[in-house]
Amino acid sequence: MKALLRVAALCLAAAVVLGAAGVSGASLYYDSQHGAGCTSCHEMAAYVGGVHDSAHRSQNCLDCHDTSLATKLRHIAVHLGRTGPEAIRLRDVDVVSMTSACQKCHQQEYATWHAGPHSATYRQIFTDAKQNTQRRLMDDCLRCHGMHYDGSVRDLVQPLNATGPWRVVRAGFADQPTMPCLTCHWIHREGSLETKPAERISVAGSPVHDSLAFFDRRERMHFAAAELPLPQLFDGATPVKVCPDRRQAICYQCHAPRQPDTGSVAAAHHWGPQAGSGDDRTPLGVHEGLSCFSCHQGHNENARASCKTCHPKMSHCGIDVEKMDTSYSNPASRHNIHWVRCTDCHTHGVPRAGRAAIASGE
Amino acid sequence: MKRVHAVIVGAGAAGGIVAKQLSSAGLTVVLLERGPWYTAADCRKDDLRNQRTTVLGNAFGPEDEGNPRVWIDARGAAHIVLPSEGSYQNNAACVGGGTLSYGAMAWRFLPQDFRMRSTYGAPEGSSLEDWPIGYDDLEPFYDQAEYEIGVSGDDSPTPFHSPRRRSLPMPPLPPNREFAILEPAAKRLGLHPFPIPMLRNSVPYNGRGPCMRCRWCVGFACEVDAKNGSQNTVIPAALATGNCELRTRSMVKEILTDNRGRARGVSYFDANGRLQEQLSDIVVVSACAIESARLLLNSKSRLFPNGLGNRYDQVGRNLQGHHYTGALGFFDFDTYDDIGPGASIAVTDYNHGTPGLCGGGLLANEFIRLPIHTLDRLPPGTPRWGPGHKQAMRAWHRRTIIVMGPTQQIPTAEGRVTLDPWVKDRWGLPVARLQGNSHPHTFEIGEVQAARAAAWLKEAGAMQTALMAGRPEIVSSGQHQAGTCRMGDDPRASVVNRYCRLHDVDNVFVIDGSVHVNNGGFNPVLTIMAIAYFASDALLRSWKGTSFRS
Amino acid sequence: MTRRQFMAAGAMASAAWAAGCSSHRGPWESLTERQAQTLAAICDQIVPADDYPSASQAGVVTYIDRQLARHYRRHRKAYALGLEQADSIGATRCGVRLAQASPPQQLQVVMAIEQQNAAFFDLVRKHTLEGYYGSPRHGGNRDAVSWRMLGVSQPPLLGRAQYDLSKGPRS
Repeated sequence: MKALLRVAALCLAAAVVLGAAGVSGASLYYDSQHGAGCTSCHEMAAYVGGVHDSAHRSQNCLDCHDTSLATKLRHIAVHLGRTGPEAIRLRDVDVVSMTSACQKCHQQEYATWHAGPHSATYRQIFTDAKQNTQRRLMDDCLRCHGMHYDGSVRDLVQPLNATGPWRVVRAGFADQPTMPCLTCHWIHREGSLETKPAERISVAGSPVHDSLAFFDRRERMHFAAAELPLPQLFDGATPVKVCPDRRQAICYQCHAPRQPDTGSVAAAHHWGPQAGSGDDRTPLGVHEGLSCFSCHQGHNENARASCKTCHPKMSHCGIDVEKMDTSYSNPASRHNIHWVRCTDCHTHGVPRAGRAAIASGE
Repeated sequence: MKRVHAVIVGAGAAGGIVAKQLSSAGLTVVLLERGPWYTAADCRKDDLRNQRTTVLGNAFGPEDEGNPRVWIDARGAAHIVLPSEGSYQNNAACVGGGTLSYGAMAWRFLPQDFRMRSTYGAPEGSSLEDWPIGYDDLEPFYDQAEYEIGVSGDDSPTPFHSPRRRSLPMPPLPPNREFAILEPAAKRLGLHPFPIPMLRNSVPYNGRGPCMRCRWCVGFACEVDAKNGSQNTVIPAALATGNCELRTRSMVKEILTDNRGRARGVSYFDANGRLQEQLSDIVVVSACAIESARLLLNSKSRLFPNGLGNRYDQVGRNLQGHHYTGALGFFDFDTYDDIGPGASIAVTDYNHGTPGLCGGGLLANEFIRLPIHTLDRLPPGTPRWGPGHKQAMRAWHRRTIIVMGPTQQIPTAEGRVTLDPWVKDRWGLPVARLQGNSHPHTFEIGEVQAARAAAWLKEAGAMQTALMAGRPEIVSSGQHQAGTCRMGDDPRASVVNRYCRLHDVDNVFVIDGSVHVNNGGFNPVLTIMAIAYFASDALLRSWKGTSFRS
Repeated sequence: MTRRQFMAAGAMASAAWAAGCSSHRGPWESLTERQAQTLAAICDQIVPADDYPSASQAGVVTYIDRQLARHYRRHRKAYALGLEQADSIGATRCGVRLAQASPPQQLQVVMAIEQQNAAFFDLVRKHTLEGYYGSPRHGGNRDAVSWRMLGVSQPPLLGRAQYDLSKGPRS
């Protein structure tokens, strides 16, 4: 019995020593030469290569990625057991924790994002009584709210009915953001170092930052903003001028227009997708042709200071544009700032003086 | 395990409906399904791995490992085939069955489809027969299927439709570009085009929203849950009664019988591979034509040495499905609008009444295509590879319309399912062996239909057309598989009676496409659903608590 | 680097070596580097570069390599033999391996493969076209480049219906 215990103790000691050696070796391996060790696992080669061409090239893998013992052991098990997926990728829990890694350096961006609506949590999105009583939860919700979540909506929220009460059943996800940094940004990508834009850019054809890309839940990969589609929209039968700013192609992925609905006027006339349908907010009327980014900031979508970018304090009518009866000053206004037209207020025609001023571009 | 009133084998189009009808009437039901309950998140619209394009496997089962079949070709050679290969003639194995990922066309058969033999006579060598029931018997149940499962469409523009008591519960989806191109052309040809009826929400219905018109439809699970299958309609309703228990990943081994020749339940392998017995008063087989026949044939006992219901060697015969033919049209303008489901317009003028042909079939434009579907659907003479192929892909992917349709198959007794004596599946059960073919007249009908499709496309302005009309060496059954447990009044020439009850065993029912005497010139799912309602209704009327009224 | 760290790194490296991560494999799971080069040459004749990328530029070799370790395991032998034969045809015709031949020579060799080993060529053709025109998630069709070439947007814009079931749904 004693002998047996001694053997067991020896085995245990050997395991501890080997394990410790393995773990410290693994740390070294991961951390050496800006992650060159990581490339030795062929699964990682493309990712490590990608980050070396990116703005984050001076970072080590471990600056952003999880280094816990459990993770290392899991990597080794997957690698040796060859049980990995076709392409390795971050797990949904890793993406969630990545947001705090971004925060370490990008504190201001994080703060503005966190203050805005796009930091909404799974609990806020998926247990919202108004939404859940009006529309059924479904897998397509995850396309924009929880694109990184790796499963079906039925494993995320229960019950999937109109009566509730609803709760997030996926452990640890309730208070995590549904649209984390990696929704609109990709890190392992080719491209140059970026400078922070000093101010909002309202001109068409603004440069598209290399970091802008939309994470497509179907393919589980990012698509660069420069390659994403911009819609051809209609207002009734009339084509709408959509700003060619490609950055807003990311916005359109979720704030997307719909094909005409059954029974709609547009469907009866074979008109194309209508501006303002679905979650689309393409400007019409006085603001037609502007980019989302003409007014909205990227990280918190705030548009509070945007009027001044273009407007003099007093409009051509002699009224403060910020105090006009639009949804800008009053969310309950009939005049949505995205679609407001001169004729909404000037129901008998736009005054001549104003029209001349507009025409001369003053 | 607790004895129940009914065990239903297979949670597909028919099994789900039977489960809901019986459990709503107060019977206790166990619904056994060999596959899992998949969601859209399990496939994520993978162009290479779904239920239609299966080059990397079936998204919704069965898996390639451990589920082989054997196909006997025209020369008598046996091939072991995998579920993702075409000659397997697969239908999905999952909760919802084919209805989880189908294109969802919702056709009623025409009255003539139930009287094929008396209308046309049986071509020599065929087993063409009349149904023991007529269209009028099924009409109330077609209506029930259309309203309970949910169908959108409008067949009022054509006189070639079956009489109906009321219009469909939802209007059709707005027309897409192919509809706008094909509709005036059909009218110029004197045809009667109309929107395809679909088991798909065009407006909010049954507590779910409308179709979002995406590119990934047939072969994929719907991410907005607008496609109506048994998995999002009758099965949840059955479970909500509290009388129905669904057991997934449960493969039924055989139907158990007692000494008096009545069924006493089934034995099945559960999700952990353990053999279980579920005793019941009734057994309903709804496993789809090939697997239902296989289960009956595998249920051998002293009283039924050749399998259950197979006294006269009828089980597995008359396998049929649909022989698809049509034409490609190549246009000098964009026909593709990226608006799903794509399939939008049909004519049923050609289903019956062509002199010299036993029936015909509908013609419709094809579902929206993915780039992978265009590879071999290019103008004749296009290089198979190289710069010419790449340029042709670019030139034609957006400028092609396909018109095709299911040709009425003329069945033969030799086109059949038997058990393979050697090959076993992962549970050790003998697998299905497919042999024989449709009657050659099927191909003659198909060729006429293909020429008609080409004529329609030419009238619509196609610069060039190409016929799609092969002569496969196998019964094209696949997702439309039917016929193997034929319904009839004569026990020597059929397997079940007009109420889908086995002639041999009075508490075993086969309720799915297997009972179709012939499969019409239409996608069969709405007929399968109508028969499920019809047979459930008959079953419940003769049920008296624990047994049947005689 | 301390001696202890050196030992530990050595232990890890030998563990990796024991698991079959020998360096000649490079980024490939199933193919050798040499096989991958030959395969790329064939794929690039099937889908050559023009103003859009060639098959190998779009990741088709990655697609085939990954699938040879998964769904196409059954084709591994055919690939090993077929690629070897391709190199020997290349050597006979051009005096060099296929990957090192000039593009016109490669075309000649691939046409010869199509003649002499039609089964293998059809397999590569099928897999190349699948990889190039299929879903990017499998490694080919990088960044959905072939879909954009065909004028098919990725991801498509799909708006959400704003219906309200609480206000008297139909049915």
